[in-house]
Amino acid sequence: MSPLATQLADIVGSRYVLTRPAETFVYTADGLPGYRRQPTLVVMPGTRDEVVGVVRLLAAHKVAFVPRGAGTGLSGGALADGAVLLALHRLRRILAIDPENRLAVVEPGVVNASLSRATASHGLHYAPDPSSQAACTIGGNVAENAGGPHCLKYGVTMNHILAVTAVLPDGSVATLGSADGEAPGYDLAGTFTGSEGCFGVALDVTVRLTRNPEAVRTLLADFTSIDDAARAVSAIVATGIVPAALEMMDQPTIRAVEASIYAAGYPVDAAAVLLIEVDGLAAGVEPDVALVDALCRQHGARTVRIARDDAERARLWQGRKKAFGAMGRIAPHLVVQDAVVPRTKLPHVMATIGAIAARHHVTVCNVFHAGDGNLHPNIAYNADDAAESARVHAAMREIMTLCVEVGGSVTGEHGIGLDKLDYMPLIFPEASLAAMCRLREVFDPERRANPGKVVPIRSCREWAGVPATRVARA
Amino acid sequence: MPDELAVTAPRAERVVARDAADVAGFVRDARDTGAAVRLAGRGTWLEAGGRVAAARHLDLSSLTGITEYVPGDLTLTARAGTTLAEIADATAAHGQWLPLDPFGDARGTLGATLATASAGPLGASVGLPRDVAVGVSFVSGDGEVIQGGGRVVKNVAGFDLVRLTIGAWGTLGAIVEATVRLRARPEADETFCVTVPPERDAIATLLANVRNAALEPLAAELLSPACAAGLGLGHRPVLLVRLAGNATGVHHQRSTLSKLATTAPAPSDTWSRLAQSDPVAGLVARVSRRPSELVRLWTTAISLGDVDAHATLARGIVRLRLPAPPAHDLFGTFDAADHWIIERAPLSWTARPGRMAPASDDLSRRIRLAFDSTGILNPGILDL
Ligand SMILES: Cc1cc2nc3c(=O)[nH]c(=O)nc-3n(C[C@H](O)[C@H](O)[C@H](O)COP(=O)(O)OP(=O)(O)OC[C@H]3O[C@@H](n4cnc5c(N)ncnc54)[C@H](O)[C@@H]3O)c2cc1C
Repeated sequence: MSPLATQLADIVGSRYVLTRPAETFVYTADGLPGYRRQPTLVVMPGTRDEVVGVVRLLAAHKVAFVPRGAGTGLSGGALADGAVLLALHRLRRILAIDPENRLAVVEPGVVNASLSRATASHGLHYAPDPSSQAACTIGGNVAENAGGPHCLKYGVTMNHILAVTAVLPDGSVATLGSADGEAPGYDLAGTFTGSEGCFGVALDVTVRLTRNPEAVRTLLADFTSIDDAARAVSAIVATGIVPAALEMMDQPTIRAVEASIYAAGYPVDAAAVLLIEVDGLAAGVEPDVALVDALCRQHGARTVRIARDDAERARLWQGRKKAFGAMGRIAPHLVVQDAVVPRTKLPHVMATIGAIAARHHVTVCNVFHAGDGNLHPNIAYNADDAAESARVHAAMREIMTLCVEVGGSVTGEHGIGLDKLDYMPLIFPEASLAAMCRLREVFDPERRANPGKVVPIRSCREWAGVPATRVARA
Repeated sequence: MPDELAVTAPRAERVVARDAADVAGFVRDARDTGAAVRLAGRGTWLEAGGRVAAARHLDLSSLTGITEYVPGDLTLTARAGTTLAEIADATAAHGQWLPLDPFGDARGTLGATLATASAGPLGASVGLPRDVAVGVSFVSGDGEVIQGGGRVVKNVAGFDLVRLTIGAWGTLGAIVEATVRLRARPEADETFCVTVPPERDAIATLLANVRNAALEPLAAELLSPACAAGLGLGHRPVLLVRLAGNATGVHHQRSTLSKLATTAPAPSDTWSRLAQSDPVAGLVARVSRRPSELVRLWTTAISLGDVDAHATLARGIVRLRLPAPPAHDLFGTFDAADHWIIERAPLSWTARPGRMAPASDDLSRRIRLAFDSTGILNPGILDL
């Protein structure tokens, strides 16, 4: 063991410091397929004090570190290249549930879905629901400002974070935001949310809880053209109904799902399906369901199926939530994108993505949060085939450029991490990137927290500009 | 309040900016000469926050105009000096609205509303500036035009400069343009007056019942007798509840509400009259804690006498509107841990509590300097 490892072991116990390659192997990858990075070691504190102790020790040694929750991130944010990986999954206590004020205080390693399970007896849930919610952590959600299907109506992580206690990279502990009255001054909780582990480590998070809806109705509308489905989305959004969720899956995605163990009974001959959920007070739901149903049919839906019971509803959602996993089965590698476009541009963008895919002879699977224009064009491919890889990456670059050109963003919920650094200059002028660097330096003057992520600017002088070598998945 | 303005910025050199480049040029020049700059929208609320001593006054109210509005996208981009009224008119034509309802009249500007993070009763549901804004352009204290966020409703690219500038009171930059998310107007949008019993326990029971009932109010605001009287609702405590959605849903919610207490329709302009009935002089202050403390805050507030007060239930905020600061120690009447925000106070009143949460002071100060390295923008407005 290195002297640093020994000192870390003094804080967390030697079981919780991993140094041998065989032990650290699972920590060399996160949810972003195709990348591996080797951390110098992995440290797994079990309490808040241990986290603070570890961060202080790393500060004293001027060692870079990368916080990690469940490692489900899709932009490579939790990859540590020659840095210490600070794993937070052992901090998984729910510290308080306050039903009267509809809030909870949780440690960062609490798994998203377990929070909603724990609050269910109060008729409450934690609304942001990334499709990875069975595994991902609240700390990771805060760091990525994660979204999810139901964020269309309920808002993304940022809208649900009231306060964060964080240990800053220099080892000082700061309380950001307030759950106990209006916090005057800068919105530091909002600013920390989405900072991708670059501003420090969340030690506890105070989140808003949402009342469970009295009634929920889930519809599956199937279309023979993507264009019709996209137009139906625009029509629904324009009515003023805010569905709880409004998701689209195209034919390649439907086929991947139906061929997997998550088969949901989606029509495999449909060009696209919309999975729509309307929720709220029982009395108000039925008129909205009727209107959504009618709008889908007006825009060419062949059928609109309404889930009869919770089991059918769960099955329809299972297919959607496991769609990435299902795609992973059809080829060894997967590029996952996360662009956002203005909602009126959806028909144009979907048609153009189809044309780009055809031109490059690649298959794009689209599964996405259509209601807020957040696309996930994914391409499954074989990275060992150099020619295919080149075509896939060229197609993706074109797709991302298209989304930016129509006024969009390069990431709606997965974060920039390592994977999307290249795209940042497409959407932000130099002065904005420099301002982001300066903000980071306030939190982390030595740039030791998740170095090399998020802002690719030369003035930050921390990123060489070369995407790391891709290695085949083991 | 032109006279207050004169007091705030005596003999200040005034410049009206026409575009972002003007703002950038003005700020750079001020920085190079070490002159502090007071940023102003329409200048209706310059006495808010700490006192600003600035030799230069930059008027942003001429940066007007909606620069992009595609109704189907439910987003709108406008220059900072555009008034909320202009936005309301433009969006109403397409059956949409911007759910920001800060106190004051609708001629307040978008830029100032975001810079001060001002929210009204809709803040209880959909109307918080931090939730509504998706992008901002601002000129930093170093004269650079910086863009945060974008024009789409979901965006996590880069660090969040939008949340940072909202509520920064101009100390990080002058907002020159912003993109906000809109909503489609609901089919039904109705406001009801609910009769509130006088006793503390009965109030608590009513509020708990409203909270736990099958209701999803867009706004629920408790009014003191003086406040209700000012709105022509009679000199009695009243709970104003705004219900919106499809007609069937609103109808059902109304009957749910009437089972809890006597309920009558309120005139549709009640909310705008509430927003516009702030005293022109005197003290306007908000006190807040977690919502479960609201009944205590409320009882303390109305024990001050026949005061004009209203409370946003879901946010745990009581807003006091007093003709003059009370002679006795106002803050001492409340719990020491209650949070105060002074919206408006006579300049002679020196009893203001600090604005910033102490734990964040150092971080906030350093953030300020990262965007305004010489500290020239609105110095003193926040305790930094
Ligand atoms: C199948 C699948 C589906 C997904 N669906 C969605 C979706 O619908 N919506 C969505 O938004 N995302 C989705 N994701 C992406 C991912 O699950 C989210 O980004 C999630 O928030 C990551 O949480 P995590 O705990 O796994 O974080 P990690 O991957 O471990 O880390 C992510 C980032 O957070 C930082 N971090 C972690 N913990 C902390 C902490 N305590 N303090 C500071 N920084 C920290 C890390 O440094 C890293 O930068 C999906 C991923 C998969 C694999």
